[in-house]
Amino acid sequence: MKLVFFDDYKLGVLNKDETRVIDMTLTLEEIPHVGPGDYMCRLIEKWSGYKSRLQTNMLDMPGIPLEDVQLRAPIPKPGKILCMAANYLENGTLKEARPINGFLKNPSAVIGNGDTIELPPESVDIFHHEAELGLVIGKKARNISEAEAYSYVFGYTNFIDVSARGLGPKGADVFLQGKSYHTFAPMGPYLVTADEVPNPQDTNVKLWVNGGLNQDYSTSDMGHSIPKTLAWLSSITTLNPGDIVALGTNHQGLGSLQNGDVVERETPGLGRLTVHVSEPLKREWPRGVDHAMADRMRG
Amino acid sequence: MKLVMYNDFQLGLYQDNQVFNLSESLTEINAPTPQDMINAVITDFDSTYRARIQEIAGKVQPIPMDQVHLRPPLPRPGKIVAMAANYMESGALKEPKPLNGFLKSPESVIGEGATVVLPAGHQAAVFHHEAELGIVIGKTAASISADKAYDHIFGYVNFNDVSARGLHPNSFLWMKSHDTFGPMGPYLVTADEVADAQNLQIRLWVNGDIRQDYNTSDMGHKIPKMVEWLSSIVQLDPGDLIASGTNHQGLGPIQNGDVIEMEITGLGRLTVNVKDELNREWHRGVDSDIADWVAGRSSEPPAWAKR
Repeated sequence: MKLVFFDDYKLGVLNKDETRVIDMTLTLEEIPHVGPGDYMCRLIEKWSGYKSRLQTNMLDMPGIPLEDVQLRAPIPKPGKILCMAANYLENGTLKEARPINGFLKNPSAVIGNGDTIELPPESVDIFHHEAELGLVIGKKARNISEAEAYSYVFGYTNFIDVSARGLGPKGADVFLQGKSYHTFAPMGPYLVTADEVPNPQDTNVKLWVNGGLNQDYSTSDMGHSIPKTLAWLSSITTLNPGDIVALGTNHQGLGSLQNGDVVERETPGLGRLTVHVSEPLKREWPRGVDHAMADRMRG
Repeated sequence: MKLVMYNDFQLGLYQDNQVFNLSESLTEINAPTPQDMINAVITDFDSTYRARIQEIAGKVQPIPMDQVHLRPPLPRPGKIVAMAANYMESGALKEPKPLNGFLKSPESVIGEGATVVLPAGHQAAVFHHEAELGIVIGKTAASISADKAYDHIFGYVNFNDVSARGLHPNSFLWMKSHDTFGPMGPYLVTADEVADAQNLQIRLWVNGDIRQDYNTSDMGHKIPKMVEWLSSIVQLDPGDLIASGTNHQGLGPIQNGDVIEMEITGLGRLTVNVKDELNREWHRGVDSDIADWVAGRSSEPPAWAKR
């Protein structure tokens, strides 16, 4: 099933051929929530009670043509966004995975399809896109084993871990400045339930800037697998329904972001996420793939 | 005003060693979670809830403090943004270190009387307490200027930024975000009761021995600058917490069976316990290696920082 927020944050699902949005407001309005921020998380928490009703409604209701709605971020304010750092083998050039590492990304930074990444005026070396597979937690997970990890996964979504390079004290952990600026977490267009993603460990991640394909890699190149990642993260902090785990990027293909850019992101079955870039100072960086960055990250 | 969460996360007003229940009266608030309740009160405090709470306290029968089980006043803040190395180390530094900070997992929060659990699966070189002034956001702050910072502050709370050292890579996530690593409380004190947040004494004891004893006047980047900087990166929302950093002079190991107390002028005393099923042992008392290193008296980092 493909879950969406649309227009003024109505909850809906896509029909089978993905051409129409079916408004599920009446089915889901009884779920206690404060606003869009926590609504999807609460639905995920109570999923077993709603899944079959949504499936039934999907067949009965006509829906609205997809082109007539404005899609929103499927999880506008997750409880947490946990990101994996340097978690790819860089197209197999590394002999082994780098030491496992990650960071928390600002959950208020989420934007959705059609929204705009607003680059801050800070003196950075460069702003990069990082296309990532976003995983959505389905059940409270604390100290889980790798063997049971997938049973805690609710679904997947396209994610872009927008990054600012060169800020903060040298040698220190500067993920806050590097990753957490407002609007630096584009996600969507849908949240796709796990049953529709047969092999998340072998799927494709693509990202285009202004139509030029920059990133194109398989999640089979991941350093620490999805089960290993979830076991490690849950050994540190409790994962809750609706939390996002961004599984890291392959740096072979990162490129600059600058004013006016259109960024598109696609993984089979997850739809295409399109966002814009705004940068008031209109600074310019080389366009296309950042080969120096790619070389630094290769084994 | 001093706000508490207690028992099954009822919101209460603390006054004269008694607690007045607020949740049962504030039925108009849509609060699926306890944090939603406190967030709603914080968001509309000046316009509505300051007066409402006083009115409720005039009507309901208070409960003696010793009959309630206190919980953290912010059970699960939307964000915990923490400052890194933000003190002059009792004046040892000539100038503040470069601004830096990190996000700490909001899942880490525990309250009065709860237990910091040292994670058995993580072989840290040592676990430290870090007593800090916790700043609670009252109004949404996005790219605000320093002179407006205090307008966005709702109140203050004792906060202990418990830290694991020497995990590799030594990232803030791994160091700071373990479950139970965010003791907070016992209550949340509104800003009007804190005359000068930049002149508060922060004390922390382990098993009755004083370890940290410093003043917020030693802060490197002061509260207005800190809020300006953080809000230039992340939007701060009502109920978010800023941990304003610690003075490393006085940090020390914590280990199984320890009792940690901390107190900031006017913010009450927060007491938590420590449990470590592995019973790892470190020396007791202050760690002078980290103190000397951060203060610049020694160029030699602690052994755990040398990788």
